[in-house]
Amino acid sequence: MSAFPILSATTFLPLVGAAVVVLLGSERLARWIALATTVATVAVSAPLYWRFDKTSSALQFVESADWIPAWNVGYGMGVDGISLPFVFLAALLSVLCVGVSWTAVQTRVREFYVALLVAETAMIGLFAASNLLLFFVFWELMVVPVFLLIGVFGGPGRVYAAVKFLLFTLAGSVLMLVGIIALYRSCGTLDFKALALARASLAPGEQAWLFAAFLAAFAVKVPMFPLHTWLPDAHTEAPTAGSVILAGILLKMGAYGFLRVSLPILPDGVRLFLGPMLVVSAVAIVYGAYVTLAQTDVKRLIAFSSVSHMGFVTLGIFTLDQRGVEGAILQMINHGILSAALFLCVGMIYERTHTREIADYGGVARAAPVYATFLALFCLAATGMPGLNSFIGEFLILGGAFETRAWLGAMGVLGVTLGTIYMVWLFYRVVMGRLNPGLEGRKLELGAREVATLAPLALLAVVLGVYPEAVLSYLRVPVAELLAGGMP
Amino acid sequence: MSAAADLALLVPELILVGAALALLLTARRIRRARLAALGTVLAALAAAVATVWARGPGAATGFGGMFAVDGYSQFFKVLIAATLALSALLAADRIDRERVPRAEYHVLLLLAATGMMLAVSAQDLLILYLGLEIMTLCSNILVGITVERPRSNEAAIKYFLLASFASGLLLYGISLTYGVTGSTGFADIAAALAERGPGSNPFLLVPLGLVATGLAFKIAAVPFHAWAPDAYQGAIAPVAAFLAAGAKAAGLAVLGRVCLVAFGSQAHVLSGLLVGLAALSILVGSVIALPQTDMKRLLAYSSIAHAGYALLGLVAGTPEGTSATMTYAFFYVFMTLGAFGVVIALGERGRDLDGYRGLATQRPGTAALMLLFLLSLTGIPPTGGFVAKFVVILSALRAGHVALAVLAVACSVVSAFVYMRVAVLMFMRDPEREAPSRSPVAVSAALAVAALVTLLGGVLPESLVRWAVSP
Repeated sequence: MSAFPILSATTFLPLVGAAVVVLLGSERLARWIALATTVATVAVSAPLYWRFDKTSSALQFVESADWIPAWNVGYGMGVDGISLPFVFLAALLSVLCVGVSWTAVQTRVREFYVALLVAETAMIGLFAASNLLLFFVFWELMVVPVFLLIGVFGGPGRVYAAVKFLLFTLAGSVLMLVGIIALYRSCGTLDFKALALARASLAPGEQAWLFAAFLAAFAVKVPMFPLHTWLPDAHTEAPTAGSVILAGILLKMGAYGFLRVSLPILPDGVRLFLGPMLVVSAVAIVYGAYVTLAQTDVKRLIAFSSVSHMGFVTLGIFTLDQRGVEGAILQMINHGILSAALFLCVGMIYERTHTREIADYGGVARAAPVYATFLALFCLAATGMPGLNSFIGEFLILGGAFETRAWLGAMGVLGVTLGTIYMVWLFYRVVMGRLNPGLEGRKLELGAREVATLAPLALLAVVLGVYPEAVLSYLRVPVAELLAGGMP
Repeated sequence: MSAAADLALLVPELILVGAALALLLTARRIRRARLAALGTVLAALAAAVATVWARGPGAATGFGGMFAVDGYSQFFKVLIAATLALSALLAADRIDRERVPRAEYHVLLLLAATGMMLAVSAQDLLILYLGLEIMTLCSNILVGITVERPRSNEAAIKYFLLASFASGLLLYGISLTYGVTGSTGFADIAAALAERGPGSNPFLLVPLGLVATGLAFKIAAVPFHAWAPDAYQGAIAPVAAFLAAGAKAAGLAVLGRVCLVAFGSQAHVLSGLLVGLAALSILVGSVIALPQTDMKRLLAYSSIAHAGYALLGLVAGTPEGTSATMTYAFFYVFMTLGAFGVVIALGERGRDLDGYRGLATQRPGTAALMLLFLLSLTGIPPTGGFVAKFVVILSALRAGHVALAVLAVACSVVSAFVYMRVAVLMFMRDPEREAPSRSPVAVSAALAVAALVTLLGGVLPESLVRWAVSP
């Protein structure tokens, strides 16, 4: 343990950057400050990854300080193997968001980067928080900048999408707030570890209610069927950076909540809701995939595919099987990488063509071979192609699902099949064939900045496909601990 | 106790009255409203300092036990002084434009605040009544102070009629309480009621109900809220701000003390009443705020809902619950003054919702402040409004009112829609009107203070939570 509070520094550095952007008041500098801040955040967080002890399930880099002693609530930070990959993902995606917005955002540049940086603080803080109050603070802190990112910088239907997003999220999170307060009343603490120890004092009935309260918040964020309707609107209307944050991190917050709150603290509640959760996940996988097939708007298509993919994640979590849960977490990372990458790809070409209709594309490979290569890589990875990252995650989840209930595995396989169809079909319609006449004469190829934005994700997709151990090695011990910790 | 010692307890009130008299005497010489505002602010600060300074060990009572200075009253007196100072700042430039008698306006503010302070220190129903009546009377004149505006006159008359009616109910309740218990002092009432045992006297229900009703009028809790939207809309914005923040805080303080100290043994009866008031206020306030297009009216309904949230703390009938209400009142005052402050800063444009279109491009700072206050009113961390909501919901859950807590948070989603509608207009629409002129320094200062308290209190609530100790 070092004296330097790495986690707090990582969390709050973006907030400092946001303050600098506000104070300096220069539009030109805003981009550079944002870039410097996000890169510095990645740099500051670097020691977390190599100094992390993978053999321990305990929280590491723990920081604690008095915050509200009157409530017995402290300021507590700490990461374990489950949260650490997300800290990295959030820090990395923030850099890429700055990169992709460099020319795409031309109006109210300062406000844009302030919102982006505040969102980064919220994202990282959420995964680093070691008590529920802090978790909730970051959870809610996330809502406002994303609301503004969608509503101010988004597409034509942005206001509707932003308000819908806000109301859905708030409706979920206020119920979580009641749950948090009820937990606090019963246990007298909000520290995750202490709550897990104090859970014996919660009657099964109470746990069921608490699970339902937290479910409201998590299910909206994931989003689980049938609470997913905000997602296509929000993802579609958001600016590229907003979509990346939404798909890359925000969706993971809900699933992370299940892992951090529901499983360790409310095992009886989990047991009670297990059946419905599995069914809903399976429905999300298949229904999400079917609806995706019908989409004609590229962004909407990727958005709906998220519903299906996140169905895999919740399926994996609620198999309560070592492989399933590991696969789910790996898949959260994978989906964070791939959906972010796909949204980046869409955003880059949208910047040139100003259309998201699939019918307006075609033959892009002829005009932009580099772009087509990247898109091919990400589309194939999203289908679960062996050797690329999604394969391992889906494989583990399906393994866990077959172990628990065979029909779940079957539904999952159906989802994978449909996923392959819509992804390959999307690729076919956008990239293959003759160049769409509407695109002729346009310069579609990527610039160096854009290649640099996509390259890290492409690299990750390949590396995690070949060597998933890079993430799995972090997960093994904490997941085993999570499942052994009294789960039925 | 000697007369001098009695008077020593009254120092904060005396400072305010003294300032009021001094302003009256020099009224003819005051050419700029700013000067009067400055005097009021200084008096408020002096009163706050005197309040804190006077803090000896434990509580002190005087005037035959009718008046007490304890932690509870000090908390609210500081809050009232802050309300007074911020309201004076917010009014500073506005009343020059409105052709309002400058010194008199501030005299009324000072006297209303004096009434509030008396009421929160009262240990006797009659002192309480006197304090509240001073407050109501002065507020009433303030509502109607723009005599040339028909709207303002209408509002003043409505306010007067309903407030008199409420005062009558309160007084009637006091006299019946006297009839049942033989005293108007809180301690004697409590002792007399304790002797009878809980719930043994059905005659007690009537005075309890009447006192609670009278006080519910003062804090504009549903169904006794009808005056608030009209009064706020008709009054000029600084007066509306003062009413919304100060009168409500004082009313809550008084209600808290009466429920906990005087009628503590009747908690089971009161709790039922308060649950009804709280649930209705939250529901009606949140829902009726939805279609409002006048900003002051919108904030009026929001303040009605907030009265309901604050009552969630009193429902429990425990000291912790009352502390929760104190915390709520504290943050409510600052975020409400802040929201009204933005309305005032925008002048004509602040009046209706459409004026907020595109504000973020024209006045990004003001828009950001408004967003902060709106988030706090919604109860989103890390603002004070979240801390406030947290403690009152905790208190409601502790008292076993799960359904009420769920209703409260569900309505906070409704109110989120109300507040975020303003945010949508500010940030996501293009401006249609010319940029408002720069806000006066006094208003900016008030906004800065309100924002600082709202944000800092939300991030580091520890000292406040410790300070808010019920009687």
